[in-house]
Amino acid sequence: MSESSMTIGLSWAPKVTLPSSGCKGNLVDSSSLPQTSIRKTENELVDGLYVPPRDPKKLNKMLKRSMKDTAGKSWFDMPAPSITPEVKKDLEILKLRNFIDPKRHFKRGEKSKALPKYFQMGTVIEPASEFFSDRLTKKERKATLADELLSDRTLMEYRKRKVQEVNEKRKPGGVDKWKIKTQKTWKKARGRRRG
Amino acid sequence: MATAVRCTDGGGRGGGFRGRSDGGGGRGRGRGGGGRGEGRGGGRGRGGGGGGRGGGRGRGGRGGMKGGSRVVVQPHRHDGVFVAKGKEDALCTKNMVPGESVYGEKRISVQNEDGTKVEYRVWNPFRSKLAAAILGGVDSIWIVPGSRVLYLGAASGTTVSHVSDIVGPNGLVYAVEFSPRSGRDLVNMAKKRTNVIPIIEDARHPTKYRMLVGMVDVIFSDVAQPDQARILALNASFFLKNGGHFVISIKANCIDSTVPAEAVFAQEVKKLQAEQFKPFEQVTLEPFERDHACVVGGYRMPKKQKQAS
Repeated sequence: MSESSMTIGLSWAPKVTLPSSGCKGNLVDSSSLPQTSIRKTENELVDGLYVPPRDPKKLNKMLKRSMKDTAGKSWFDMPAPSITPEVKKDLEILKLRNFIDPKRHFKRGEKSKALPKYFQMGTVIEPASEFFSDRLTKKERKATLADELLSDRTLMEYRKRKVQEVNEKRKPGGVDKWKIKTQKTWKKARGRRRG
Repeated sequence: MATAVRCTDGGGRGGGFRGRSDGGGGRGRGRGGGGRGEGRGGGRGRGGGGGGRGGGRGRGGRGGMKGGSRVVVQPHRHDGVFVAKGKEDALCTKNMVPGESVYGEKRISVQNEDGTKVEYRVWNPFRSKLAAAILGGVDSIWIVPGSRVLYLGAASGTTVSHVSDIVGPNGLVYAVEFSPRSGRDLVNMAKKRTNVIPIIEDARHPTKYRMLVGMVDVIFSDVAQPDQARILALNASFFLKNGGHFVISIKANCIDSTVPAEAVFAQEVKKLQAEQFKPFEQVTLEPFERDHACVVGGYRMPKKQKQAS
């Protein structure tokens, strides 16, 4: 192999044999290659040119990063979309939908507060047979899921009242001076009241 | 007596003629499907949803997602199945034929960030026992993307279309149905889905279609017949691979209407065990179907290897 390339008259050729043997002994250690190889260190590269890193670990990492993140084959490669503020709001309100309507109950979802990673935002299309019976009017249609979940006016009042109640309950009462901050001060405070 | 007649006619369950099939849509406009054929179907169909609590939602029972509402589609616990969350939740599968709905079900269209369009079809547990089993919390349905499925008792192909969605373009569904009437719908559905092979034959005689069907990974059986365990065993001996799985839906009324449902289920499970089936789990399809159970298990399971070093 090397003799044939020598006859052509090249000044340099990679000393690599055909990989047919597949044996480790035939492979030439990359460090032993002369420094004149086409591989250049990164700072020598002209802008825009790109040489994949030699290190297989780095290469794998790079490939992994460039691959699209999906839910995998089992779910037909459902993508992981980028989370914009609107989408985030949608997902958060979806998590809180149990509290929107007191008369409506949902199956408990997963317990974690983390937002789902793989999802798609969709719109329901009614079949032609239900065009009149099962369809939102143009006014009822909303741009985002959050808008739709919160669209009911009557429930808005309920929500407001509920929030107020919780705030009232949570609000620290009385003068700031009398506020009991820790367990330790509790005793002190009691003593103060009695004494 | 009416039930007995139903049970013995044809291999299938006559999917579309149940009264419950269009119960939801019909209820709203008051043309309800009750009082047709089976008493059970009518009774449950109306009592289940619309009657009791219809008020709040406008429509009764199920599938209240109206056209135009927004949902988030997420992967379900089971492979190939998705769940759409919005004002309500719905099970769905990814539509193999975008733009088409098979039996008048709702679709969910999604536009991806890169501009591609995807569609999902809503899967109604009141119409499909497999969906009911999933919602009933079955551990695994064994039907996953890429698997080959033999579906006995395909009826007009409503559930088959969803199974075909789940297995996807790399999978295969052999749908066996005896009644030519519902078989017509099945064939029409299969025209558009390349992975469905409709077979209009009696599931009791697998020799008749043995040339059409290859080895399969899973058998789903929904033949409401007194000898359904035997039918399943016969088909499994022909087509099911060793270590394959079966899913069978058992309707207690169809086997023996004189004893309680639980006794019938236990008796059927016994029968299955005698035929080299190994039942893993049994779920009742209770809120969706009355006196139905779904049994999932393996066939000729390999013996467990000893924990040698």
